[in-house]
Amino acid sequence: MAIITQNKTPTRPAPLSESSVLGWMRKSLFSSWFNSALTIFTLYIVYITLQGVYIWGFADASLVADNRRACYDNSLTGACWAGIIDWLDNIFYGRYPREEIWRIDLGALLLLLWMAPMWMRKVKGKIWIGITVVAFYPFLAGYLFAGGDKGLFMQLMIAAALVALPANLINMLLGLYKEQSLGQLLHTFCAKFSRDEKVQRNLLLALVVLSIVIAFVLQYQWQEQGVSWTKWGGLFLTMSIAGIGIAFSLPGGIILALGRRSKLPIIRVLSTGFIEVFRSVPLITVLFMATTMFPLFMPEGFVLNKLTQVIIAVCLFNACYMAETVRGGLQAIPKGQYEGAHTLGLGYWGTMGFIIMPQALKHMIPNIVGNFIGLLKDTTLVSIIGLFDLLGMLRSISRDVPWLGLHKEPLIFGAIIFFIICFSMSKYSRHLESKLATGNKN
Amino acid sequence: MTDTTAATQPQGQLSSSASSEIIIEINQMNKWYGDFHVLKDIELTLHKGERIVICGPSGSGKSTLIRCINALEEHQEGDIVVDGIKLGENLKNLDHIRTEVGMVFQNFNLFPHLSILENLTLGPIWVRKMSKADAIENAMHYLKRVKIPEQANKYPGQLSGGQQQRVAIARSLCMNPKIMLFDEPTSALDPEMIKEVLDVMIELAETGMSMIVVTHEMAFAKTIADRVIFMDEGDIVEENEPNAFFDNPQHQRTQLFLSQIL
Repeated sequence: MAIITQNKTPTRPAPLSESSVLGWMRKSLFSSWFNSALTIFTLYIVYITLQGVYIWGFADASLVADNRRACYDNSLTGACWAGIIDWLDNIFYGRYPREEIWRIDLGALLLLLWMAPMWMRKVKGKIWIGITVVAFYPFLAGYLFAGGDKGLFMQLMIAAALVALPANLINMLLGLYKEQSLGQLLHTFCAKFSRDEKVQRNLLLALVVLSIVIAFVLQYQWQEQGVSWTKWGGLFLTMSIAGIGIAFSLPGGIILALGRRSKLPIIRVLSTGFIEVFRSVPLITVLFMATTMFPLFMPEGFVLNKLTQVIIAVCLFNACYMAETVRGGLQAIPKGQYEGAHTLGLGYWGTMGFIIMPQALKHMIPNIVGNFIGLLKDTTLVSIIGLFDLLGMLRSISRDVPWLGLHKEPLIFGAIIFFIICFSMSKYSRHLESKLATGNKN
Repeated sequence: MTDTTAATQPQGQLSSSASSEIIIEINQMNKWYGDFHVLKDIELTLHKGERIVICGPSGSGKSTLIRCINALEEHQEGDIVVDGIKLGENLKNLDHIRTEVGMVFQNFNLFPHLSILENLTLGPIWVRKMSKADAIENAMHYLKRVKIPEQANKYPGQLSGGQQQRVAIARSLCMNPKIMLFDEPTSALDPEMIKEVLDVMIELAETGMSMIVVTHEMAFAKTIADRVIFMDEGDIVEENEPNAFFDNPQHQRTQLFLSQIL
């Protein structure tokens, strides 16, 4: 017998337990006597803890005091934030000359300006923002921070940075107000002069070269007083090491991962060996090697300062970890993608650059950002070999005569700073993931 | 299998557009996967404008055969000459052959991170060195031919299987290939989508494209094929005109195969 439904069943709203707050609480917090008791007990624990934190950190805390004694005189049960406030400049800038601190602030501001468009939905050409910031910003900031004489290469890179930064800002404004990218604008501009694509391309090239030449002349007179690396410290040093490490480790990791999957045996064996050696040694060992053994192998008269050695060690170490992450991403790409690219006649680099890498990196964003966060936290190890990074600075507060023995507050303060930085990184990675997930639903 | 073939009504046979010029020539070709002998002494020629359909049970080596033609698989013995160029001599030739030979896969192999339009323009821009404007115009032309120009800015994951396969066909055509290879293009599709893909392929056949198609769609084979080849266990068992092949198969294995799927 046939069953035929003539009327469409109308849709009804979901029951209250699914849609209201009370319904949710009832279902998930108070579903039985035992669960209700657990909920109340947990709330009590949370209350006790928060109350303790509030009394120690806020209510009884001393913000103004000359030394630790004065803090105790003020209150015995509260935190002594006065020590942190007294040391705030050291914590952020290390022993960098106080009258030159504007250079660090300016450097941070430039980085923010450069990266800000990455967060703006309307701005186009984000990949170029990323590439220029990694390629040019380190040189601009490096000179800004270190000062002294600059070599020809350094000058060229600074000139390129001085072109890329304004270009990036113009691109941002165009994106926000005209929904256009700088590339499109230049393209239509060039198209006015000639219809021939070759002429257009040459014109564009000439424009870029011209602006770099102008920037080169401008930066030629720019001279900053040198600041020795021994004066670098605090959060500034931590961010410098981590920043360079992050900027280098991803491209370095990609190259090593490709090397490890290469069909050429020499490249494959070298990459694999390199990766495995660095991955099977703790970072602290690599750091000691870099600062004590490495100079022994170098020709006489060739001296790298300790900071440079540390940065190289951090970069190589993290490139190896990144290589394994990237390799994992590459292995997740189905063979059909390679075949699809091959049948279009794309060669190795075309296949990797256009088809495989973009997909592999997209899959790997959480792991890549996880590596970055690990790298940032690992930089605290440099305090063991005598650099005064954020952790080193925080620990030396307790050795400063007025604040002798002040351990708890600096470490908690450091934890909060690290948490803010790492949490924003992981938030950004979530944002990237959800944004890139569009159109990738199969 | 039998209901899906019914999806294509026999539309009468297409007239042959084959010329005497040879575009693919395979001589005494052998291939092994490890110790397993997949293809045995294959002899095959494709003339310009000719359409060959290859059928056979799974594991008979038909997919491997056409994958050898654009060097997705390496063969160990014998010669494959495509468009006058011998395969396996040097790598430069390989890229050249691949640009002249389009291939459509069972699983489409579209690039999921690129929009349909980007999928279609990537090859022409970077391999054929076409200008971006020309490449887009070219892509839209072929999207119209496969009847989905309105999907140009979507991503592959947003299209149905049949639409994806039509995009894959358009992507190959954008490279303006001399030969098209189809590796079971409808096997991964829902029955109601098979017809739209086969219709596109029939239209393509009408333009005189040289094609080799691996398929189980026998009604379709009858419509477009100049020759039908039956493969089994790495051998070309029987090769004939479609009418004779279907009405009067000679070899016992062909008869068995046809009786099972028709």
